[in-house]
Amino acid sequence: MMSVMRFLFFILSTSALALPADHAQRMERGLKSFQQDVAGILKENCLRCHGGERVKSDFDMATREDLLRGGSHGSVVVPFDAKGSALVQQINHAKEPHMPDDKPKLSAEVIAKITAWIDDGAPYAEPLVAGKKPKRDASVVTDADRQWWSFQPLMKINAKSIDELLLKNAKGMSFNPPADKATLVRRLHLDLTGLPPDSSEQTDLSAPTDRLLASPRYGERWARHWLDVARFAESTGFEQDYDRPFAFHFRDFVIKALNSDMPYDQFVKWQLAGDEYEPQNPLALAATGFLGAGVFPSQITANEVERTRYDAMDDMLSTTSSAMLGLTVGCARCHDHKFDPFPTRDYYAMLSTFTTTTRMNVDVLPNGKVTSAKTTMNAKTNTPAVPGATRMMICGEGYDPIVMHTQGGPFFDKTYVLKRGSPDMKDGEATQSFLQVLSKPGDAKRWQWQPPKDAKTSGRRRSLSNWITDVDQGAGALLARVIVNRLWQHHFGRGLVPTVNDFGKTGTASSQPELLDWLAGQLIANGWKLKPIHKLILSSQAWKQSSLRDAIKEAVDPDNGLFLRFVPQRLEAEAIRDCMLAISGLLDETMFGAGTRDENSKRRSIYFNIKRSQLIGSMVAFDVPEPLVSQGSRPTTTVAPQALILMNSPQARQWAEGLAKRIQPAGDVPKQIAMAYRICFNREPKPDELATGAEYLKTGASLADYCQVVLGLNELIYVN
Amino acid sequence: MNTLSYSRREWLARAGGGFGLLALSSMLEAASNPFAPKVPMQVGGKAKSIIWIFANGGPSQVDTWDYKPELKKRDGKTLDGFDPKTGFFPGSVGPLMASPFEFKQHGQSGTWCSDLFPKTAMHVDKMCFIHSCWTGSNNHSPALFKMNTGETRMGYPCVGSWVNYGLGSESDSLPSFVVMSDPMNRGLPKGSAANWGAGFLPSIYQGTWLKPKGAPIDNLAVPASLTPQRQRAQLDLLAKLNRSALAESPIESELNARIESFELAYRMQTAAPEAFDVKGEPEHIQKLYGLNEKHCGHFAAQCLTARRMVERGVRFIQIYSGGMENQQSWDGHNDIAGNHRGFANESDQPVAALIADLEQRGLLDQTLIIWGGEFGRLPISQKSAKPGRDHNPHAFTVWMCGGGVKGGHHHGESDEIGFKAAIDKVSVHDLHATILAAAGLDHERLTFKFQGLDQKLTGVENPKVVKQVFA
Repeated sequence: MMSVMRFLFFILSTSALALPADHAQRMERGLKSFQQDVAGILKENCLRCHGGERVKSDFDMATREDLLRGGSHGSVVVPFDAKGSALVQQINHAKEPHMPDDKPKLSAEVIAKITAWIDDGAPYAEPLVAGKKPKRDASVVTDADRQWWSFQPLMKINAKSIDELLLKNAKGMSFNPPADKATLVRRLHLDLTGLPPDSSEQTDLSAPTDRLLASPRYGERWARHWLDVARFAESTGFEQDYDRPFAFHFRDFVIKALNSDMPYDQFVKWQLAGDEYEPQNPLALAATGFLGAGVFPSQITANEVERTRYDAMDDMLSTTSSAMLGLTVGCARCHDHKFDPFPTRDYYAMLSTFTTTTRMNVDVLPNGKVTSAKTTMNAKTNTPAVPGATRMMICGEGYDPIVMHTQGGPFFDKTYVLKRGSPDMKDGEATQSFLQVLSKPGDAKRWQWQPPKDAKTSGRRRSLSNWITDVDQGAGALLARVIVNRLWQHHFGRGLVPTVNDFGKTGTASSQPELLDWLAGQLIANGWKLKPIHKLILSSQAWKQSSLRDAIKEAVDPDNGLFLRFVPQRLEAEAIRDCMLAISGLLDETMFGAGTRDENSKRRSIYFNIKRSQLIGSMVAFDVPEPLVSQGSRPTTTVAPQALILMNSPQARQWAEGLAKRIQPAGDVPKQIAMAYRICFNREPKPDELATGAEYLKTGASLADYCQVVLGLNELIYVN
Repeated sequence: MNTLSYSRREWLARAGGGFGLLALSSMLEAASNPFAPKVPMQVGGKAKSIIWIFANGGPSQVDTWDYKPELKKRDGKTLDGFDPKTGFFPGSVGPLMASPFEFKQHGQSGTWCSDLFPKTAMHVDKMCFIHSCWTGSNNHSPALFKMNTGETRMGYPCVGSWVNYGLGSESDSLPSFVVMSDPMNRGLPKGSAANWGAGFLPSIYQGTWLKPKGAPIDNLAVPASLTPQRQRAQLDLLAKLNRSALAESPIESELNARIESFELAYRMQTAAPEAFDVKGEPEHIQKLYGLNEKHCGHFAAQCLTARRMVERGVRFIQIYSGGMENQQSWDGHNDIAGNHRGFANESDQPVAALIADLEQRGLLDQTLIIWGGEFGRLPISQKSAKPGRDHNPHAFTVWMCGGGVKGGHHHGESDEIGFKAAIDKVSVHDLHATILAAAGLDHERLTFKFQGLDQKLTGVENPKVVKQVFA
């Protein structure tokens, strides 16, 4: 099918050239001119920026093939047609940008030579740069492209454990000895729940692992990781940044899905097409909030309507491909991807999945029926007319779209292939298919889902979800790799593939390819359940290693890509605050529902309402990213505003006073100090810590003053 | 000591040069210290600091700095071939409209200025005008994003963040990129914080928004339940306990940085309020800016704060003139005469004072002042009770002053009625490349790897530094 289309395209474009009858003679003449003058002229005036030292505007003149291919602004030279060639207009200063850039205009004589040469077909005797070959045609996906490791099927790895595979690559070194039990218990709790252990807990590791994985606190901790990837927020962004008061259902979906160990393939399918899988299931509907979590303008002028719609669909596609496949498909919006085999046509073919997908508020009635809520984007306090109904924002098809402030409609009936991403340069209608490089050759219709006759939806999103989860023919192997890598990342502080959102050519390849594929295989073999993978990792010797320094390992493996030691990690903003609340005895464990932006709230930080223009100050200070695009990993900065929060904020003082209240009854000062250390660090204080603390308390400082210091210690916010 | 296996980028991600920059030079060799002021990437840029006065809402070029006698001649005539979708209100298209303001020539350069800025006009021989700017959107927030970040879409790093990332900070007790917005309850520029966001750059490079009311920065004051003495004692204990746990850690330097961050925070508690204390300025300075004048006192305080920040090594200061839109900003859809007169009146004296004050302190040459909006306005009128002007993305004027620019110079031209940039057109990316160049940064080499690409402020469309603006 594709080859036929390519063939047709070829014929059309050649016939459009309308080769002159005397083209052979002219080419011969042009060739002479090239050898005598033109090659020299081009080398002297053009090549430096266009194929020599660099390739500006993606226009490379080194070979004739690339010359004729043009650049990011389109065609530059039309053979046998100097007048119609942008290059000739530009060197005559009849068209901007004038060429050569930043240099005086070429002499009339030189311009005449170039013009004649183009009229003679612009032939080359040899590349302008010796030995240079034409670039590959990025609009075609070849077998060579499929050889890239992340596009390959999973390797079949015979192994029994993580440790076995890591030791295979250990370059003769071995694991650090295990950390002591108290450290491991604290590490385990923080890792799985984002909360410190109860200070009485010192038991064997395996039982708490099961218990913590079964704890509702696990979903609250790990959902936050996914919300970063899903660029989740509860407002529209842009000029008015209106609240989306019913968007929190998506956050609750993620927590519930993780806590119930929903198979990851189902987790993905529901986020793309929950309304097509289970149109009556509120949880499946809420899952589609994934697609709708991006920004959208609240003031759209007539000439921006179409571009804005393409932006909105791009947000859905780019987030889907970054979050689920670790691919930067969005780059192909304006041009064939520069590094990965994603032609622009593939981009628009995938984009058309979302042609009729919009944000909608729906009411789930007590009788289970789902109806349109018919709301506008700035609806704030409106509640469902039917008592007991639940209003939620979903993103799909078939209900009334949320009415936007626009001089146009909610969507267009068709999606077109756009040249250079511009709605003014349409290049035929796009029909749905998926990335060629991740599709086994054959009929793309195999993933197509035909909705039942009475369905409200087009079936296109469910078709996408079929492809994305198809391990054998589609993108499923990559889907599995990307998620096990994310799990690994949050257990160890870095992924097996460190560029967690980029498994393409500009990413950094896995330091442990066999382990990655083995884990991905285990995931699929376990029915895509994540908890067994957590257990595999947490029971490994690798995860239990101490963070003891080792000069040789630091020299041989500075980035710890071999995972032969544990590198302490600073907790994320949410976990820091949640730990403070837990330690001070103030934590309110109420789950789910609408969040708040009140910093005095005592609920876990995942229940903060996320308004893009009013992000929570204490969260931003500790590196919560702006929820605008998919974020795979957060930076860890150490800046003064963090210290100011712990020194001066009303919350910090409340936490200190809460902890003081807890340790007060312990008895004398040494006992109080000991209790504080057990609560905060899951260990006894060392003698000098005891002595220093006691001495300080003798100077007249209050117990709360002391507790505030303890809460500021490095040990509190680092996982060792 | 652990000699840092971190790459420079990781270091930047961990500590960087933004708000709360850490003075770690004592702990790290100068060569690997990413917090130190960085060496500019090309020769020539003189600006150490940038003050960007953002005339929010889109001031009209033909009523301010772009004199068009032809417009007067054609007053009341229809503009043939005009696309009504050019502005925001396709249904309110009026005829060509002469400027309601008088224009006169000023200075040795004979620069034509409208009578909106009598005081600023006295400095025209130090100012450099670019009359041929154009942008990609006719709508406030995309155009604001474009002007601040180079993209009409939300979520990209703004110029201030890029400059911070490129140059680091010279202040060890103040944020190095601050933003001041309208203190008169007229709202924030559209898109608010996204206009000074760091996008995909580490968040430390984002602008620090100084709250226009109350304490400008959160958590700067010691809480009532403590005293400064007791806090000092707390910090001493904290440092002692933290240090004793340091030696055995594989992330010693990161933990050390955290110890330092508490000391820096402690210093900021006094340094920041001191920097904001414009009332402590001598009377003649207060008078120069019009600090106690009703019509311009609020803007005078912001301009004076900007100068005090420059003196203290703050890199990038952005001041928004005007609030959100319509009559709350330079967005003169209705009554262009009254609208522009009002906002010019608020800002003319403080801006003129800022130029004069920086000059008399010898700071003007190393401080680039930029004045401009997110787009211009149409030469035709917008029909309303009193005629206004609608948005115009095709032409507007930006002026720069100080920081090595050529005084009294005019670059580029709009067409004879000021509708479209015509000669030596300057795109927003060109403008950004030029601003970076003024700060000594090469826009081609100032990159950050994100989503697999070396991202740049100036995109991929071959932007050019407008070299003609430099002396």
